[in-house]
Amino acid sequence: MNLKRWLLLTPLLLILLLLQSYLWVPTYEKQATGNPDRLVTYVEASSGDAKILNPILNADSVSSQIVSLVFEGLLDLDENLQLRGRLATDWTISETAYLLVSSSNRFPDGTDVTGARLVKRIRAALMQDAFIELASNVRTVDVLPPASETHTIVIQEQDAEGNPVQQTVEVTVDVPERVVFGLRRVDQDFFQRLIPMIGDRYLVHFPYEQYVTFQEPVEPTVKTQVLTQVADRVPVAEHNPVIEFRLRRDVRFHDGHALTARDVKFTYDAIMDPKNLSPRTADFEPIKHVEIIDDHTVRVVYKRLFSPAINAWTMGILPEHLLNAESLDAEMRERNLSDAAREAFGMRDSRFNRDPVGSGLFRFVEWQGDEFIHLQRNEAYWDGPAEYQDYYLRIVPDLLTQEMEFRAGAVDYYGAQPHQVVRYKDDDRYQSFSSLQFVYTYIGYNNRRPLFADPVVRRALGMAMNVEDFVKYILYGEGKRITGPYPPNTQWYDSSVAPLPYDPEAARALLETRGWQLNADGWLEKDGRIFEFTLITNSGNPVRKNILTIAQDAWKKIGVKCNTQYFEWAVFLKDFINTGDFDAVVLGWSMGIDPDLYQLWHSSQAGPQQLNFVGYQNPRADELIVRIRQEYDLDVQRDLTYQLHRLIAEDQPYTFLYSPLATRVLDDKIVLVHRQDDGTESYEKIYPIPSGDISFHFHQWRKLELTPEF
Amino acid sequence: MTEPQETHKASPSPRAHPGAGGEEAFPPSETLWRESWRVFKRDRLAVLGAWVLALLLVTALLGKALTEWVVVFDPAAVRLPEKFLPPLSLASSVDVPPDDRPLGGIYLLGTDELGRDVFARMLQGSFVSLSIGFIAVGIALVIGIVLGGLSGFYGNVKLGVITVDTLIMRLTDVMLCFPTFFLILTVVALLPPSIYNIMVVIGLTGWMGTARFVRAEFLALRKLDFVTAATSIGAPDRRVIFSHMVPNAMAPVLVSATIGVATAILTESGLSFLGFGVQPPYATWGNILADGKGFIFDAPWLFFIPGFAIVIVVLAFNVVGEGLREAINPKLRRR
Amino acid sequence: MRAFILRSVFQRLVLLLIVSIMAHSVIHLAPGEPSAVDPSNPRMKPEDIAKIRAAFHLDDPLYMQYAYWMRDLMSGELKSFKDSQPVLGKIWRRFLNSLPLFLCATLLVWTLAFPVGIQAAIRRGAVYDRTTTVVAYTLISVPGFFLAYLVILWVVNTFGVPVIGLKTFGMEHADPLFRTMDRVWHLVIPSLIFASGGVAVLSRYVRSQMLEVIGHDYVRTARAKGATEDTVIYRHVLRNALLPFVTMFGLLLPGLIGGSVIVEQIFAWPGLGRLGYEAILARDFPVILTLNFIAAVLTLAGTFLSDILYAVVDPRIRTGLQGDA
Repeated sequence: MNLKRWLLLTPLLLILLLLQSYLWVPTYEKQATGNPDRLVTYVEASSGDAKILNPILNADSVSSQIVSLVFEGLLDLDENLQLRGRLATDWTISETAYLLVSSSNRFPDGTDVTGARLVKRIRAALMQDAFIELASNVRTVDVLPPASETHTIVIQEQDAEGNPVQQTVEVTVDVPERVVFGLRRVDQDFFQRLIPMIGDRYLVHFPYEQYVTFQEPVEPTVKTQVLTQVADRVPVAEHNPVIEFRLRRDVRFHDGHALTARDVKFTYDAIMDPKNLSPRTADFEPIKHVEIIDDHTVRVVYKRLFSPAINAWTMGILPEHLLNAESLDAEMRERNLSDAAREAFGMRDSRFNRDPVGSGLFRFVEWQGDEFIHLQRNEAYWDGPAEYQDYYLRIVPDLLTQEMEFRAGAVDYYGAQPHQVVRYKDDDRYQSFSSLQFVYTYIGYNNRRPLFADPVVRRALGMAMNVEDFVKYILYGEGKRITGPYPPNTQWYDSSVAPLPYDPEAARALLETRGWQLNADGWLEKDGRIFEFTLITNSGNPVRKNILTIAQDAWKKIGVKCNTQYFEWAVFLKDFINTGDFDAVVLGWSMGIDPDLYQLWHSSQAGPQQLNFVGYQNPRADELIVRIRQEYDLDVQRDLTYQLHRLIAEDQPYTFLYSPLATRVLDDKIVLVHRQDDGTESYEKIYPIPSGDISFHFHQWRKLELTPEF
Repeated sequence: MTEPQETHKASPSPRAHPGAGGEEAFPPSETLWRESWRVFKRDRLAVLGAWVLALLLVTALLGKALTEWVVVFDPAAVRLPEKFLPPLSLASSVDVPPDDRPLGGIYLLGTDELGRDVFARMLQGSFVSLSIGFIAVGIALVIGIVLGGLSGFYGNVKLGVITVDTLIMRLTDVMLCFPTFFLILTVVALLPPSIYNIMVVIGLTGWMGTARFVRAEFLALRKLDFVTAATSIGAPDRRVIFSHMVPNAMAPVLVSATIGVATAILTESGLSFLGFGVQPPYATWGNILADGKGFIFDAPWLFFIPGFAIVIVVLAFNVVGEGLREAINPKLRRR
Repeated sequence: MRAFILRSVFQRLVLLLIVSIMAHSVIHLAPGEPSAVDPSNPRMKPEDIAKIRAAFHLDDPLYMQYAYWMRDLMSGELKSFKDSQPVLGKIWRRFLNSLPLFLCATLLVWTLAFPVGIQAAIRRGAVYDRTTTVVAYTLISVPGFFLAYLVILWVVNTFGVPVIGLKTFGMEHADPLFRTMDRVWHLVIPSLIFASGGVAVLSRYVRSQMLEVIGHDYVRTARAKGATEDTVIYRHVLRNALLPFVTMFGLLLPGLIGGSVIVEQIFAWPGLGRLGYEAILARDFPVILTLNFIAAVLTLAGTFLSDILYAVVDPRIRTGLQGDA
């Protein structure tokens, strides 16, 4: 019977046809057999896809990983986390300082103040021995003529119902004469040092009302607000740090176009263009203006003291010729957009973001959404091409299947979790690494809640947690206990601060001193209320989930009742973190290398939607935070951060837990290749640099055919 | 694998309803149930399934009692030094304070990555998993029966321009247009996570099948002699519906409910896998499985125990459901 | 017939409208912000967030947002919140990825289910029938991801070959034959897992259809006339039992979007299911809504197709069709 035979044969043949394909697929040992290019191809697995491949627009870690390979910044960090030149060969930091000449003021000896007199006075003083140190820093002292400026000032007000209303006021400011100082180094106390010459009232009092003309009459309340804002824009004493970059001359974008100062200025302008909605505006906002001196010199002038600002220049430089207005216009024409779409079209919509052209180590080839991103080495890279020819970032969402692919040889590298790394430590087919990163995990208490207002209570809660055990068992030792607000691999971290001891008895005793007594049910009670609160975190992070469970269990042992809950990230932020409506959270910070903690710890940053969501307040800390961000001298800065670290550790607004080590597994055949001038190669085992990064020498990595002996 | 929901949508059962055939135009009576039971008993697989379910029910109730009311097995006790002990390990008396030791000092099913007793967690989870299944299906059944019943009994009543029947049937069509698992996922992901949301969402997306066949059942029953008789002697609608029609429509509802519970348990485990399952302090088999999968090489029992537990229970529900379906299906029964 | 077609097309358009409005309201009323508006990004100031919200029309009334969505969808200019890419283009590329998996799985389901089901029906009650019954129920009862992991673990540990994704990476310069076979291999495991549930359900259905037909009088007649068993089964029974399956072709369509989130997630398969899942995580409303819309279109088209097929196959139904969709 024909039909019967067909019914049986078809599925059999189909399955045979499908299964025989197995014979053609390479196994782990045979990856490179008949396919030598496998050795110069690097495949990395990532659980998420990139979003936008544009250095000024990306905000997620996968995108920035790719962007950092395709684009290059003026600077980057060397092995010791110090800035080093990339597109810039070198740079100088100096300062221009301005002092308004206040004719209504008088000098200590009673004479009227004019520009010429002020300059004369200062010049004379600088000749004296007492000011020799100051004089060594001052290059020039000059007077600028008066000028008239028009300012548009936006006032935030509340109407009768308490809704915010904006009012725009136009004012003319008759800026008086200004003394301009050219300084060799940035000095945040420069004007304080001038006080002996100009008198101590000079800096605090300046009669702005005499210099501001209102275009139309306004109410007195508005007037005060306007004057405050004018004082911000035209301060009596203004620091303008200046950075001058000299650019490398032989750098070209991947399309062959030369990279010049115009591209640097364009990148800055693009970030500040409100249409582009760049998430980097905050980093570049302190910039007053960027000047092109010549094709290979750029001068950046800052509005105020802000030492971390220079780190922003590690960001990749965009090619002006591909993204300027004409290019975007051409793209719109080509894509036949409707008028409405043209109206809204900006750099965010450009195809460039999925097909980027940079000047970095690798050039972009292809991106298949949720599948892979393919890069190829830039043969013309100024520092020599990379050893690897192809770079693939594969998107494999599931952590277990990432590991399966790694074992099958279809992935060279994946972010192995601690328990996975432990398995590979003894396997001689692989090399594994554990190194520090710029992140830490903490339990944050809502300092505004009466329950947590007392530092002693927060300390007691911290003492009930056995962090050492947690690191040992949950992280398999792949974590470092921390005591304060800086990542432990930065120079800002003071390792002499001792961690809280694990001592539940002492913790309970501390709480007893604050009136918390054990009740019949075994809970701590005070004034008829038991010590109960809710600890929350975001879902999708197994380690944080474990912290929740362990903290609950640990606090139960000292009589504190802790309920736990976790929420999906968006909900977690919107309903709890941004509104400050929570008791305690488990979270982590991923930090930069700069010591600026303003957004995280300054008391002014404790409002809704701000990052000091635990509501930490300490005037001494505020002062330190501001001084740190204005200091340009590394040694002084470090001294200040040590003080800040100690202070925050005293206050325990968080229970600082640990900084997890980054754990990585690589095939043993991947090594560092050193090429000698005579064409021979030598190999070195891959090692992490002091900051913990193992891929610092990535451009020298390559896979060998046989496992090397070291 | 097709999503669980598809299983009974894609296979419209070849079932005819009891009483619709010409030879059985009498009100179904005690004998019909008894006969069905006899047929069901012949299906040894289904009987086995029924025993498994009975056992499960006892386990779930015991689980609730022994992990929450009288804490004999503490599913929350963390014993970090005792992590990843294989099943049947003895608790060490050195590392663990006496209060935290498991019953008899032995971990029946081993411990997890925090050193929690897997047996205690599975016990606790059995109750939660089952209640998700039962409550979700309960919601689906109530909605399905009410809407299906309204449509079948009052279908001709006009509401403005359209009849009740049209309205309800179009609503059913609208709901069927959503890809079920995708819809559940969307809603669960967007709503704040809670075990009740999951139950409600699974329930709200699972009533359409019930509504359709309750309607069909009612339409068929209305034409039957005993119902027309009851109506003609002036029995109030309420009585006709509840004493004559609902009991007769119950048999197929029971079948779909049994299979529905199986589906709901699978859906919950799927959601857990994607990270949108029930959250602590509730342990469910689904989230024990999803948490355990990361440790498949280190502690395989964390993966296999909940995995096979789910397979066995869902299998039992499916087998019993199919057994019931055959038992109440006169057409198949004849052979 | 034409009137019937017109009527049912119209009905379905109305349904589609209601479905899209419902989906739109559910998604926009739920809490959570699109990830581009992610307030956790410390670099993003409230003004920037306000600008992005305005660009996405997030502060307009719901019905206006719906109108914008529909307008952009129809003009093909709908953009994803996540990366500003045109939504339709994105969906099309993912569809092309999903298609081979879907086709391969469907082929497996439809070729395997019939012989298995027919044999089970012929040997009703025998060991073969009972075994397939138990296997089928087990396949229906296994959580998809549990099965997938079991298979992946077994294959990778036993054979040492990669199975995740569309292809093995690092083989771009290998022989084209190797690359083709590599792609086929990567299709095999996910589609087998994808198909397992379908084979189980469909073979059970085939079995019960066969049993139903075998009991009919004309089959008895055929047997009485002395036709061989094979002739009876494959000519008389199968032909009649097949009828209802024709209509099931239409119902396959929506499976393209719905049932693959978990398999695609595990196998890193960049298909429609993953697109939807990633969009849900990122609150990428335009993508979620459009996928939902397309799913609804496919479902409606599917039922429409199956109604038509039914009418074509079995003319008796044609009149009855209008009663019950």
